[in-house]
Parts: sequence; structure tokens; C-alpha cells
Amino acid sequence: MPLLRMPPPHGGKLVDSVVKNKDRAEKLAAGCVRFELKPTTDAKGVPIRHVYREIMSVCYGFFSPLEGSMVREELERVLKERRLLSEWIFPYPILFDVSEEDYKALGVKEGDRLLLTLKGQPFATLDIEEIYKIDPIDVATRTFGTPEKNPEVVRQPFDDKHPGYVIYKFHQPVIFGGKYTIINEPKFKEPYDRFWFPPAKCREVIKNVKKWRTCIAHQTRNVPHVGHEMLMKCAAFTGDVEPCGGILVNAIIGAKRKGDYPDEAILEGHEAVNKYGYIKPERHIVTMTLWDMRYGNPIESLLHGIIRQNMGCTHHMFGRDHAAVGEYYDMYATQILWTKGIPSFGFEAPPNEVDYGLKILPQNMAEFWYCPKCGEVAYSETCGHSKEKQKFSGSFVRGIVSEGIFPPNVIFRPEVYKVIVKWWKVYGYPFVNNKYLKLKAQELEVDVPPLEIPKA
Amino acid sequence: MPHFIGVIIDEKRMEKIKGTPLEKEIKDMFGGALKMIAVPIPEEKSKEVLKAFDKARIDSRGYIEDVPVAFRRAVFEEMIKAKSLNIIDNVLARISEIQEAAKKEDEYIPPPEVE
Repeated sequence: MPLLRMPPPHGGKLVDSVVKNKDRAEKLAAGCVRFELKPTTDAKGVPIRHVYREIMSVCYGFFSPLEGSMVREELERVLKERRLLSEWIFPYPILFDVSEEDYKALGVKEGDRLLLTLKGQPFATLDIEEIYKIDPIDVATRTFGTPEKNPEVVRQPFDDKHPGYVIYKFHQPVIFGGKYTIINEPKFKEPYDRFWFPPAKCREVIKNVKKWRTCIAHQTRNVPHVGHEMLMKCAAFTGDVEPCGGILVNAIIGAKRKGDYPDEAILEGHEAVNKYGYIKPERHIVTMTLWDMRYGNPIESLLHGIIRQNMGCTHHMFGRDHAAVGEYYDMYATQILWTKGIPSFGFEAPPNEVDYGLKILPQNMAEFWYCPKCGEVAYSETCGHSKEKQKFSGSFVRGIVSEGIFPPNVIFRPEVYKVIVKWWKVYGYPFVNNKYLKLKAQELEVDVPPLEIPKA
Repeated sequence: MPHFIGVIIDEKRMEKIKGTPLEKEIKDMFGGALKMIAVPIPEEKSKEVLKAFDKARIDSRGYIEDVPVAFRRAVFEEMIKAKSLNIIDNVLARISEIQEAAKKEDEYIPPPEVE
């Protein structure tokens, strides 16, 4: 078997829809109708999504080969077969949605170009190819599946307790399908600026700075406890003739469910792992993707595969209950997808074995626990003392944190815990709550520089 | 089968427990790096706890988790008063007071002082 090399981007070419030339940007947007982007909110008015994050991820190539908001035929294809019209696999509806009132007020039609503003400044354009309506509840239901239609992995009907379902349920009903172009690059604030590695830059860093031939991706929405650290270290032993050259941590940044950690703590917590040598920085990098997490377990794992292949990873680690919340899916749903496929979601075979599929290789992992008999953090499939195990239960760890107890080194590295406390002091709370979500929707991760656009 | 509430015993709590019958209930976790008392909760009472706090759930170990800090604090206070683990009725008797404190916890939890 030949040695593994960095895979090509999904779809063959990275999307780069960011205009850096000011004159060109002004010409593109001159005379366009303006629309200020706003967050999607739930029934209580709490922000749960901001479409700017999707526009950033599309235009900087994280979601390659997707170029914009889906037209109706593409939406249907994704919901039925998880494929774009170009045949390449893609898991989720990506839609630019507006309310009936906004649609009427804008007065735009198919063929028009819309200027999207963010924080009051010109940000991107949308070339409207098609305008159509959706039933958001139907889209939400079909996105995640049902026990009847997807019996292989869906265990209970999705409902308002599932954050991803709620995101689609609260999409506005009018969709503008078409291509996005960023015309005014936002500037990331601290600490996000240190972790922004769009796919083209990330590939460059992996190849020429880190010089990793193979690289395994670690998906995260968490501040890493020692169980996560062991997962990263052990999963990285995969590779080909040698373990993977590097570990790429990719944090999902955006609105999250209440009880998750604030984004800043997630990023700096992972950074502390390499800064303080628990995994040396020569072998570890922390990056981020803007996306309001849908918690779609196998469906989300497809998006993770796409993003991390586009970023240049050869492998992706998938755990039990990958990107999951509650018990909607089988706890092994992602691993079933990547070993056998899930026919009812359009995969007769794993996503890396189908035409127009992914090239990234899955590394399915079980769990790590503390074994008092072994006296160390152990892998569940190796350790023979399952009766004595002490699990790194997320709720248990959250309980320790919220009581303000300094966790022992075997649960959290002290430097990682101090990051939690640093951001706790900033927000008055260690976890995501309504106040954090509202503030985040207002402040965002970026600022947008002023740009004058000629009226016509 | 009973469920459990895990009460972590840090140095401050240990001071209050020393010399009481509770001392023998302390269990080592994570190789002795953490100490805990598992308070047994009969199943019908654990249902009341789950009903009182919408985020609360029973994890795969049979422990009631995602309960407010105020609830755990009350469990510890009642344990110290009674010097026994048979205290869930005393805690449930204070449920409205705990729920009131828990509401404030959704907005603010005082951060610990760490160096």
C-alpha cells in the first residue's frame, strides 16, 4: 500500500469566494438592495443560529464544494440522498432564509444580487438564483430522520429538546437560493484570531510549517478533560507505516446548547494542552470552524469529514455518541455510518467508499475511563476491569466545575481548568446560558471594517 | 434499585465530616484524587428530584446529574445536620427554597478563586 498523502479537497477544488480587491468589491455590490443579517431565534427569543457563520464557512471553503444557499432541487437531493446536484455528498440543508415580511419589504426577484450587511457594514453578496418556500418543520424532520424512515439509527422522534431540530424548525419560510461572495473580510477578535485557519491556509501550514504527511482530526465542542486528551493521543497512533504526524483539533464555534462551555474556553482549553506540553505543539494544532452545531450525530459526522478533509486531514477520529445530544440516535450511529453505511440516509456503503464520497479515513474509537486497578486512564476495549471503571461523564465533570471544586490532574489539567475559570469570570457563568447566547449573537466573533458602496 | 447523588468532598467539607459517622462513607475516586459520598436515593424519591429540576437526569452509572449547585449544597447541609445519608426527605422538604436559588444559578454562579 502506498504511503498516505494529504487528500484533495472534497469536490476536487477549494471554494474561494472572498473578494480582496476593494474596487472589485465595490463594483460587485454597487446599487444592490441591502439586507442586514440577523440571528435565528427560538420560541423564547434566544439566538440559536447566525447565518453569517454559514456564509463564512462556505466562502472560505470549509464546506467545499458548496458555493451558497441551496436551490429547491438541491435541498430535496440533500434531504433524500445527502448529495449536492454535482453528486458530491453533503449532509445538511444550507439555506438563506427570510421572513415573508422581509421578502415583501426587500422587493427582490430571481436574478437580483442582494448586499448582505453585518453589524451595519457591507459583508457579502447573494446572487439570487431561485426564491422558494419551505415548511421548516418538514425540513427539520427530514434533516435528522425518523424512527420509521431511518430505523437503522434513529431511536426516537426529534423534538423541541434537540437543538439542531430547533434550528431548522425556526428557519424563516422564504429561501433565497444562490451563490455567496464575501466582499469585505471580517476581522476576528481575540482569542478567535489565533485559531482561524481557513482550509487553504490550513493545508499550507500542515504541508510546509508542520510538515505532517498524515494528520488526524479531532472534533470538539468541549473543553478537553484528560479523557479527551487520551483519545487524541491514542487515536493519533493510527496512520500508515507510522502514527499520524499531527493532531488537528477543530472546534465548532457558534451558538451551542445550554450547558456546553463558552467558545473562548473551548479554544483556549485545547490550546493549553499543547502550550503546557501535554501534547507537544509540534504535533498539535488548534483551529476552528464557524457553525451553529446541529448535534446530528451521523449526519454531523459527514459535515465533519468534509470540513477536515478540506482542511487537509488524512484521518478523522469518531467516538461513541459523536456530536450527539440525548438519545435520538443509536450511540454507535456515526460508527455504523463509517463502517457499514446507512442506506436510509443514502449510504449503501461508508461515505469514504461511495462515488463522489470522502477521501478522509475514519478512526472509530470507543471510550476512555479511569481504572483504579490499572491506576491509569484506560481504553474501554483494552482494560479488563470494567466493573471498577470511573467514567469521565460529562455531567459529572460539569457538576465538579459548577461547584467550584478544583478538579484533580487526572480529570482536568490545572492549566486547562484555569482557562475555564478565566472565562467564567468574564461571563459570570462557566457554561453557555441564555445571557451568553444573547451577548454572542450581538458581539459575534468578528468585527466588520467600514466599506463605502456606491449607490448605483 | 436506588439511584445516587454524588457529593464531592473537598478539604472544607472534609473538616465538617471528620469524626462523624459520615467519614466511613467516603469513597476514593480517580485513584484517590477525588473523594465522594454517594447518597442513596430511593427510586420514587429520585422521580421527585427529576420532576423538580428540568435539566436533571440519571446517567449511565445510576447517578442523578445536572442538578443545580444549590441542590447539592442542600444535600451536604442535611447530611451534616443528620450525620446520616438518610436525608432525602429533609432535602425535598426544602425544594421550593432550592428551586428559587437554582433560578438565580441560570444567570450567575460565583467563580472560584484560583491562583
